[in-house]
Amino acid sequence: MSMAIKESAFYRGRRLLGAALVFLAFAPSLSGETRLFSFTTSKGLPVKVLQDNEMPFIHAELQVYLDGRAQNANSLAITQLVVMNMFERSLNSPSSNLSDMLLRQGNDYQVELEPESVKISMNFLPDRLGPFSKLLNEIFTYKSFHLKKFNESKERFWSLFLKNRDWRKEIAVLLAYQQLIGNFYFSQSFLLQETLNKINLAQLRSFLLRTFRPDNAQLILKGRINPYFILGMIEKDLPQPPSLPLQARKPEAALNTGRRVFILNVDSPDLPSAYWFDVAPAADSAAFIPYAIGNFALFGFPGGRIYQSEKNQALMGGYKVNTDVIFFKDFTLFCNYMRLNYGDLENFLLLVDQERRKFSVRPVERKEYLDALNYYIGHAQVESSRFDFDLRGEISRFRGQGASLLASRIGPELFQDVSLSRVVQTMDEQMGAKSRTGPKEKGIVVLIGSADAIVKNLKLLKTEALEMSLD
Amino acid sequence: MIKARLLCWLLLVPLIPLSAQSPTVSSFDLPNGLKVILAPSGNSQAAAVCVYHMHGARSDPADGRGIAYLYQYLMFDGNENLEPYDHVLFIGKMGGVVSGRVSYDNSVFYELLPAQEINVALWLESERLKSLRLRDANIDFHKNQIFNRISRLWEANLGFKAQTWVSSKVFEGLPYEFPLYGDLNRIPSLGNERIRENYPNFQNLANILLIIAGKFDISELRNGINKFFQDIPPGRRSANPVFNAQNQRKSPVLKNWVVPGLKKSMAVFGIKAPAKISYNYMYFDFLRYYLTDARISRLNHILNTVNKLDVEIESSFTDYMEANCLIIQISHPKRINLEKARFVLASEFQALASKPLGNSDVRAVRSLMEIDLLKGMLSPEERCQRIGEYFHMFGELNFFDVQLRRLRRITSYDVQESAKKYLLKENQVVLNVYGN
Repeated sequence: MSMAIKESAFYRGRRLLGAALVFLAFAPSLSGETRLFSFTTSKGLPVKVLQDNEMPFIHAELQVYLDGRAQNANSLAITQLVVMNMFERSLNSPSSNLSDMLLRQGNDYQVELEPESVKISMNFLPDRLGPFSKLLNEIFTYKSFHLKKFNESKERFWSLFLKNRDWRKEIAVLLAYQQLIGNFYFSQSFLLQETLNKINLAQLRSFLLRTFRPDNAQLILKGRINPYFILGMIEKDLPQPPSLPLQARKPEAALNTGRRVFILNVDSPDLPSAYWFDVAPAADSAAFIPYAIGNFALFGFPGGRIYQSEKNQALMGGYKVNTDVIFFKDFTLFCNYMRLNYGDLENFLLLVDQERRKFSVRPVERKEYLDALNYYIGHAQVESSRFDFDLRGEISRFRGQGASLLASRIGPELFQDVSLSRVVQTMDEQMGAKSRTGPKEKGIVVLIGSADAIVKNLKLLKTEALEMSLD
Repeated sequence: MIKARLLCWLLLVPLIPLSAQSPTVSSFDLPNGLKVILAPSGNSQAAAVCVYHMHGARSDPADGRGIAYLYQYLMFDGNENLEPYDHVLFIGKMGGVVSGRVSYDNSVFYELLPAQEINVALWLESERLKSLRLRDANIDFHKNQIFNRISRLWEANLGFKAQTWVSSKVFEGLPYEFPLYGDLNRIPSLGNERIRENYPNFQNLANILLIIAGKFDISELRNGINKFFQDIPPGRRSANPVFNAQNQRKSPVLKNWVVPGLKKSMAVFGIKAPAKISYNYMYFDFLRYYLTDARISRLNHILNTVNKLDVEIESSFTDYMEANCLIIQISHPKRINLEKARFVLASEFQALASKPLGNSDVRAVRSLMEIDLLKGMLSPEERCQRIGEYFHMFGELNFFDVQLRRLRRITSYDVQESAKKYLLKENQVVLNVYGN
């Protein structure tokens, strides 16, 4: 008997040692470098783990995909209401199991509604990695809708929607969606109270069942994580996706053409803002990076043509234009924006238009091309100091190779992949004579500020009133 | 068997997540007295170069308040080798970021840029310290800009006006009593000669720390620092500043303003908070997180979610070394809602002082504070600023471990004690702004 015990203890010890060695052989090294592990769980959730042993906390991003094409205003209202009811902190009465779990996890989370996905990002301490998979399960099996909270979310919809946001930009972006994209539910941007009032809880539940499911999402984790440990935890806690089939992808979003200027009247003492929205090639198209370089040659700071022109002509006070890129599966939306004095608005609008036209007669030059590439490479290096930098690269990979190159790991290979002649051709097609003469141009300009003051300062440009309501 | 098991555990132990390891910070002095602090980290391709002046608006002469604030803008106006804003253009071209701010206790200017370009930032910073363009034309330009901007704000933003008043009362008798820009009406008449004369105090090398964080090769960096900074003349060695933590207020202040035609009434609460150098600072910071941080925001929960008062809540915190102020502004078109909110707020403060917080709340806030501290340590520019501040206050370089340890030990008892001390009525300045 005692012999048997000894033997079994001996074998158990050897097995433990063997398991440890096997584990070590496959486990990632503990060097300072980030290593990527990709796997898909048996429930269909793709998981990417960026193991970074120097990162003292864990950052997680869960992306749930939406397919918004050929939908209607109801769909947008339902998506917005689902996100609010699940995650809005000020609607936490009565508190749900999910909100309690988020609080225990540290409550450092953010939910963004993007055109084609809902992104839930959070940071938590390593000792909360265990409960994280339960939290994930709670998100995928959420059932705690409460009628009182639901009604409140409808009543306070716009105040909650615009809370803690750059609402000027949000409104400008919504207007761009509405004007530029025909058959996409974001084009039904300004929700009316009557649309919201028609939504019921059953619709929210049904949307959640069809959309918030492991096989329609992607999870990325970064930190000091043992990928096998987290895989085991997720496998154990993740629910089976519902038997409902995933919605079939709809045809491409239809794009409207033409260039129009909109003025949104806002009663505020702040300076007015100007936004230029341009529809550009999709992130996975070969023309995407050439377009980004061309956009930099136009709007970039300090080497861009617009900044140089205003400096040379001593027109204005040296305004800096910022650029955001909004990704869609089939195209991207470039948003160049700035704040400026009322008195400078017209000069600036005319200057931008003039410089855009010039691409046909004065194509992007070698120096501009090199400046743009140098800027993008340097900017990527600077951004590498942000803890979520390599996650952005992974997420962009979903959007296409071009976006992922711009978002991370941008390097000298770009010089080989993107030639100057390609940039010249793209800009001529997008902004130069070719688009001007044909019906291809797709873009709008949005001015936000006091409409009276804007109109008073527009002397050469003629305006036409168009009334819209947010109620 | 025991040996085998022990071996297994020894092999597995390194894989178990450990707590954050503190990054190493070191320093050396140049012969001219400039203190250089290095905080390397290899996990990014970026570096931050930061010039930390242990000199701020509190050092302005009484009849020249606002001079240091002007330097915040003049520092970007070029020198004998650089044109105005060349500094921003050089760094911007390579995809980097430039920033600077003057506060009461200190002034911080930094560049965040690709690591291989670090010498460009060193050169630009050394140029700034060697000579600065302080011509009448550019000084007058910035005086006018500041005057116009603050005047506009003063006229159009009642909240700004109210908060400035509350803050001046909370800090009565302290260096923080006056706004950073000094007396608004005296800005245009500040003497340019005075501004030039005062600059050597601001630029005094003995009061400056050069802090570099991020990725760099130490020997190359040392060469760069020697090349660009060793020619700068030494400053006057001054005694290390001694900060004195100020006590809480002994008597409350209550004031009403009536503003004709006001659409939204507001109540602005100013709570005198512990100094950054004080031991209690972290406990009060805990309370600040709990009450006002948007991710927890207890105030929003009790005022709007529980009591349905639908009030707008704004808050700000000063972050100064000798005393601080937490400002909470509550506004609503109906005065009755404001009065109810005031009552709920007073009851909440009372509750915090009389009974300890629940464990789940303590854990949640502590974890949020820890994550924010850790995030700050991963960002090179923020790390520079925190190292500079800690050295300025305590003369020590490695603050991270100490802060983290203290943070992890915060208990509900510490929080309750802090609430008892600082959330008292006597420690508050309240300004009510009503329409007629």
